Amino acid sequence: MTGSDSTSGSVGRTVARKEDWRLVTGRGNYVSDLELPRMRHVAFLRSPYGHARIQNVDASAADAAPWVDAVFTGLTPAIAAVELRALSALPSYIETAQPILARDKARFAGEPVAAVVAADRYRAEDALELIDVDYDPLPATVTAWEKPEVPVHDGAPDNVLLERAFEAGDVDEAFATSAVVVERELITNRHAGNPMECRAGVALWAKGENKLTLWSGTQVPHLVRNMLAELLGLPESNVRVIAPDVGGGFGTKAVLYPEDVALCIMARELRGVPLKWVEDRAEHLQAAAHARDHRYLMKVGFSAQGKITAVQADVTCNIGAYSVYPWTAGIEPLMAGGLLTGPYMVDNYRCVTRGVTTNTAYAGPYRGVARPATVFAMETMLNLGAAELGLSDLDIRRLNLIPEDAIPYRMPSRLVDDSGWYGRALEGCVEAIDYDGFLVEQKRRAEHGEEPIGIGFACYNELTGLGRAAAAGPRMPFRTGHDACTVKVEADGSVTVMSGVTSQGQGLETTMAQVVADAVGVTYDAVNVRIGDTNEALWGFGAFSSRQAVIGGGAAHTSGVALREQILELAAAVYEVSASELRLVDGRFLMPGVEQPLGTLADVARIAYMESNRLPEGFEPGLQVTRFYDPVRGAFSAGAQAAVIEIDTVSGELTILKWVCVEDAGRVINPQIVDGQIAGSIAQGIGGAMYEHLVYDESGNLSTGTLLDYLMPTSAEIPELSIGHLSKPADNPLGVRGVGEGGTLGPNAVLAGALHNALGVELTRLPITPARLWEALR
Amino acid sequence: MQVNFSVNGRMESVDVEPRCTLADALREDLGLTGTHLGCEHGVCGACTIMVDGQPTRACLMFAVQADGCSITTVEGLQNDDGKLHALQQSFCDRHGLQCGFCTPGMLMTAMDLLHREVEPSRERIREEMSGNICRCTGYVGIVDAVEEAARTLNSADPTD
Repeated sequence: MTGSDSTSGSVGRTVARKEDWRLVTGRGNYVSDLELPRMRHVAFLRSPYGHARIQNVDASAADAAPWVDAVFTGLTPAIAAVELRALSALPSYIETAQPILARDKARFAGEPVAAVVAADRYRAEDALELIDVDYDPLPATVTAWEKPEVPVHDGAPDNVLLERAFEAGDVDEAFATSAVVVERELITNRHAGNPMECRAGVALWAKGENKLTLWSGTQVPHLVRNMLAELLGLPESNVRVIAPDVGGGFGTKAVLYPEDVALCIMARELRGVPLKWVEDRAEHLQAAAHARDHRYLMKVGFSAQGKITAVQADVTCNIGAYSVYPWTAGIEPLMAGGLLTGPYMVDNYRCVTRGVTTNTAYAGPYRGVARPATVFAMETMLNLGAAELGLSDLDIRRLNLIPEDAIPYRMPSRLVDDSGWYGRALEGCVEAIDYDGFLVEQKRRAEHGEEPIGIGFACYNELTGLGRAAAAGPRMPFRTGHDACTVKVEADGSVTVMSGVTSQGQGLETTMAQVVADAVGVTYDAVNVRIGDTNEALWGFGAFSSRQAVIGGGAAHTSGVALREQILELAAAVYEVSASELRLVDGRFLMPGVEQPLGTLADVARIAYMESNRLPEGFEPGLQVTRFYDPVRGAFSAGAQAAVIEIDTVSGELTILKWVCVEDAGRVINPQIVDGQIAGSIAQGIGGAMYEHLVYDESGNLSTGTLLDYLMPTSAEIPELSIGHLSKPADNPLGVRGVGEGGTLGPNAVLAGALHNALGVELTRLPITPARLWEALR
Repeated sequence: MQVNFSVNGRMESVDVEPRCTLADALREDLGLTGTHLGCEHGVCGACTIMVDGQPTRACLMFAVQADGCSITTVEGLQNDDGKLHALQQSFCDRHGLQCGFCTPGMLMTAMDLLHREVEPSRERIREEMSGNICRCTGYVGIVDAVEEAARTLNSADPTD
């Protein structure tokens, strides 16, 4: 470790989060809380049709209403001049032109068609009712594996926006010599990140100059600044994006939405007037990015001993009405094809994966991107293979997991796995869940005719902290492998961190402070962290792909270490001692063999800023360092989950009796925050497996448009969670592995597997609802 | 319409349209933005406040309906000396919040529970808190926090 001199040390400890006081006292600063002088409010009119030609939009009555400041439609020149095109160099990829407000055609129910600016949200919504849109409905396509009657986009007559094949080894030969070959069609349910704070923005275009400020709940402020500058023709420094406290993101807020751009364009037309848009939940369920609507046609071969001989898959991802900006329609299909084989040794692999556009809300990044579905597909096939071969679900995993001595392991999709601790994660679960005790109880219940119980397992690898060699995103025109961090000592000796990371609840103010405190040699309390403002941090791609602990943390650490060296050189010259012997611990300068500190960081900082007359020769004023960090490769996080469930065979109700997870976060910066990430992601995974389902009818109407129909799990549904840790240090300065998403990967597979184990029932279509289970039991 | 009610012990008077929700009056007219709106249809619980001692969804009540009522919001939870309420402290200590958006509603619901039951089991806490949705924590930290706050309150010196 190139780490710290500090003996007390902040990294590895649970410290009081810097965010918490303001959040528990109701003094948080969310975008929806922002109030500016002369502020006006925006409401969007949205298409009630899944697919329709727009013949005419008559906004004259709304325009004439005295309480309306302005009305915008797809035909307003300023709006019509901009469109969103997510770019990718993938060979088969067909771009889509996403209008800011729908112009000729509405492609999904909920697509914004017009916008009104008024004194408050109530009046803005009143005015929406005065806008008359003449729609000519078209046949809608909502299922990606059905042929469209009318294509969503003219450029893609079969609705396929991209297709990619993976091929390794000799799949046909392997199937021919397999003892058992299992085939299944598996379908996962559309659901979404659904953060508790919906999307929100406040845009202010300066009155006298072309300067735009956007307060936004975005996960990616620097990217948003870059994209807005390009879309609106501004120099990048004239755009400032501020993400203050953000009420959850989970990928949903890593997208630049047409509503965001509309807000900025409208602000340009109404210079000097701050415009606020706060989305409501009904809008959010309709029009914020969805995810996980996939079909897997799986074929997996096994040897007589149970070794996987080959995996073949045909994957179709419903990517919705547009290729999501800027991540593209490739985000889910390529992740699915690249990581389908998971933590298992597979030599022979064939996969065709495609992204298909439909008349539904577009799919975007959501925690775990595609892998909750791929893990479900892979683990289900393992269980079926085991059943045919007379093996246990546990044995077949033990046989096929990538062993430690195979690391680095090149997956058939050519990704390189640096972990190999899958066996350890699985055995940790076996122990924590008391597998032997479970077997005894399962047998006892069977003998006594009591309600059946079952156990399910899931093993997964989570690719985190992707550097330039394997950056997130399907060949997009930017690489997300690096972040910057500036660390400086202020004149009073306190330390300020201006980091490119962003936080939507993950506690990055806290963890960055911990990292920098140790790297510089000061206390946690002496460090102040400023994040989420493009005018402060030099650069950061933001929150996605479990990247911030690795990449943002790496940048914070390397900047902090470099700053400490700068400080020690100045202090050594000031105190006339050797810099190589001098140490900075908790903000005090120590020399070996000298009991009293020579001085404090505040003393030296004062010289650096306020008393240049005391600066030793050759030293410039100031103490500040900015460094970029890029891990080049990624860090795989090993994980496993297991659960015991009980089935009420009369009602089909499934009760979770016990849930365990063992995950490798590498070196843990803050144990409480890491556990919180894992617990929260498991809960989201359980929600997706059992409750959350965005359902469209045949004409493209969303029939689960409120939280009364779209069921999010509560404290009554989520069980107690037992979380265990492995800590295999990763190859980056802090030794950390990302941990934000892994928990979502297990629950689909665990619950479907446990059901199969309990009753021999196969649920090949998610979610697992009591009704489906009841039907399967009949 | 002129509406009068007390909020966190202070008399307030607001001039609102009849259709203005209580949540909007608190947030927009009084600047008490600690009460959050997560769904505006009464399911998520983020806007839970106390109205005359009863936990209430501020998004489902009109401001005019609160005329003459006594309201407590998350801003009124701290002690007069600025010390955090036992629940606020335990939510911090037990990682009962991540993004903090659902937290005000969680705190108010938990306060109501601890007013009614001094030593709720984890199961009871899970049942009682199930009208509030948290998307971040997986609820473990929230249940821990409510359990710990109950212990703190039970062991507190009543004369304190």
